[in-house]
Amino acid sequence: MIRTHSISKVFNAGRPNEFTALHEISLDIQLGEITVLKGPSGSGKTTLLGLLGCMARPTTGRIFLKEREITSLPERFLTGIRRSTFGFIFQQFNLIRGISALENVMVPAYPNGEKFAQLRKRAMDTMEVFNLVNRADAKIEWLSGGEAQRVAIARALINNPTVIIADEPTAHLDTKLSHEFMSIMQELNANGTTIILASHDPIVYDSSQINRIIEMRDGRVVHEESRS
Amino acid sequence: MALFGMALHAEYNVKASAPVFARKVSIVRQLGLTDLCLFTEASYTRHISMTDMATPFQDSPATFEHFPTGALVSPPSHLVSNHVQKD
Amino acid sequence: MSKRIERQRQIIDFTLAALMRRKGKNGALLLVYALVIFVLASVLFCTHALRREADLVLKSAPEIVLQRILTGRNQPVPIAWADKIRHINGVISVQPRLWGYQYDTVYRANYTLMVPLENPPVLGTIDIGSGISKIQGASSGDNIAFTGHDGQPRLFVIRNILDNESQLLTNDLILLSEKDYRDFSGIPTDQATDFVLRVRNPKEYSTIAEKLVRMFPDSRPIIRTEIQRTYDAVFNWRSGLLIVIFSAAALAFIIFAWDKATGLSAEERKEMGILKAVGWETSDILLMKFWEGTAISLTAFLVGVILAYFHIFFASAALFAPVLKGWSTLYPTFRLTPFLDFGQLATLFFLTVVPYTISTIIPSWRAATIDPDAVMR
Repeated sequence: MIRTHSISKVFNAGRPNEFTALHEISLDIQLGEITVLKGPSGSGKTTLLGLLGCMARPTTGRIFLKEREITSLPERFLTGIRRSTFGFIFQQFNLIRGISALENVMVPAYPNGEKFAQLRKRAMDTMEVFNLVNRADAKIEWLSGGEAQRVAIARALINNPTVIIADEPTAHLDTKLSHEFMSIMQELNANGTTIILASHDPIVYDSSQINRIIEMRDGRVVHEESRS
Repeated sequence: MALFGMALHAEYNVKASAPVFARKVSIVRQLGLTDLCLFTEASYTRHISMTDMATPFQDSPATFEHFPTGALVSPPSHLVSNHVQKD
Repeated sequence: MSKRIERQRQIIDFTLAALMRRKGKNGALLLVYALVIFVLASVLFCTHALRREADLVLKSAPEIVLQRILTGRNQPVPIAWADKIRHINGVISVQPRLWGYQYDTVYRANYTLMVPLENPPVLGTIDIGSGISKIQGASSGDNIAFTGHDGQPRLFVIRNILDNESQLLTNDLILLSEKDYRDFSGIPTDQATDFVLRVRNPKEYSTIAEKLVRMFPDSRPIIRTEIQRTYDAVFNWRSGLLIVIFSAAALAFIIFAWDKATGLSAEERKEMGILKAVGWETSDILLMKFWEGTAISLTAFLVGVILAYFHIFFASAALFAPVLKGWSTLYPTFRLTPFLDFGQLATLFFLTVVPYTISTIIPSWRAATIDPDAVMR
């Protein structure tokens, strides 16, 4: 379980453009479930995802990952945890331009020092699952929207994460690809991966497999809903 | 790797040039030479070790270097240190 | 342990791939950097090789040369001095030396005329250096005329052309007999250009020099070690030209290292953010930047040094030729023996590679330490 205890995030503290993105959020996110953060832009979804995924520290409050407090860990440990526990899919995909799809998938694993041949094989296996093998050596710029999406997902999976975090994953996708994305997420969830999504796309939050919806507005949780 | 090859080439060449140097050494002794023939434009650039202090300044003490290679050649240390006593 | 190595390898591979991506920009950078190193290394190689040459070759130069100074200028020495000099303790022999210059108005060249200490040419014949033979197109057996001190021409037969391999010593020499030279130059029979002394014990050079000065206050003795040391001062870093070259190189280097150090492009920053977001630590990113700087530095250094080596030792310092010639019309080909000073190369390495690598890492420091969630926006 991922638990947040009264976390807040303030940007530019003390300056004229001070901005509070999150106001004392306390949440429990169950592992093994699909959770969706729903709300308009500016509601703090992205910030919350970043905090949950150990990308940043809250200004106040504490976060617990499986009963272990992570807010006060030094950066190195935090990064290590992030790398092994979380896989990220960004709204803009954020794939590295100029290198191939395969290399993009492998990049998050380089700091682990795994034997290259072994890593390459794992990456290829993952890409095979997503039908990307024949595009493995293609440069990112040449991939179609759907292919890029799948590369982004494959990259998120390379370190066998426990949790997948996706921020507005369907924002740049058409209906067909959006449904495809959700079915991939459901499949991963069926295999035990926790999924946390932020979206204001109905295709996402109206999907039947969602376990929980957390509605946010202006940096606060306004509504929680559990589905089964 | 290439640097290593360069070093080897240099080593080899230096060793191979030993007889040439032996000949040059004997030429210096036989002829009584005191300088390398590098810059023949002026007497003080041609015989750097033999020059006096005045020659480079013979036009005027304040003129700029007259000969281009004079800019490459510094006065020999013995000239500078003895200058106080002699010139 | 092998995990660490594997990690390094993969980060290095990634870095190299990243460099290849921006081929144009990195290529230009490499070129400029290599050019700077090329110039600096060429200068270092050339000056060092010449100094070593002088050092090795002049070790058989006269042990003590005694000159006479009058009105602050070199003047002929009276041969009568030899009698007194011979009696100085430690002096084996005293020999008067005759040599001087001759300007050839036709070829606008300066020659050095000399009476050799051993085996002078017979009367009426001369040996000439390879440089003179080249510009006059003269060979053994030819007749050659020079105008003497009295304005009258004198004809000589060329006996030998001095070997090309010794041109760094003999290029402009004309060797002739004493009688011929005295007649030619007009130097009186009781005078010589200077004296050459042979001494029993090399440790006595300074002592004997002091005795000579006391004996003849208007004389200047020059000892062999001073003659050799003269060539340490040639191409000394204080020489005007070298200061200009080094300053220009330093400036060029500072400019583009500064350019590197003052900023990362937005794209580079974004990329670092992505790497951080997918799990790279700050140290991984800095390592990448380090390898980036090092890869360019090392390559540029290697290319520059090797090209410099070829330039000086295969192409006889062709690019420096105009500088080395000056206004001389008689100049040697600088066929130098490749003496290498690894100390100099090491210094060049540390003065260029290290600062450049640092200038690649520093701007990345800030970018590498920001929270990756900025990339999410």
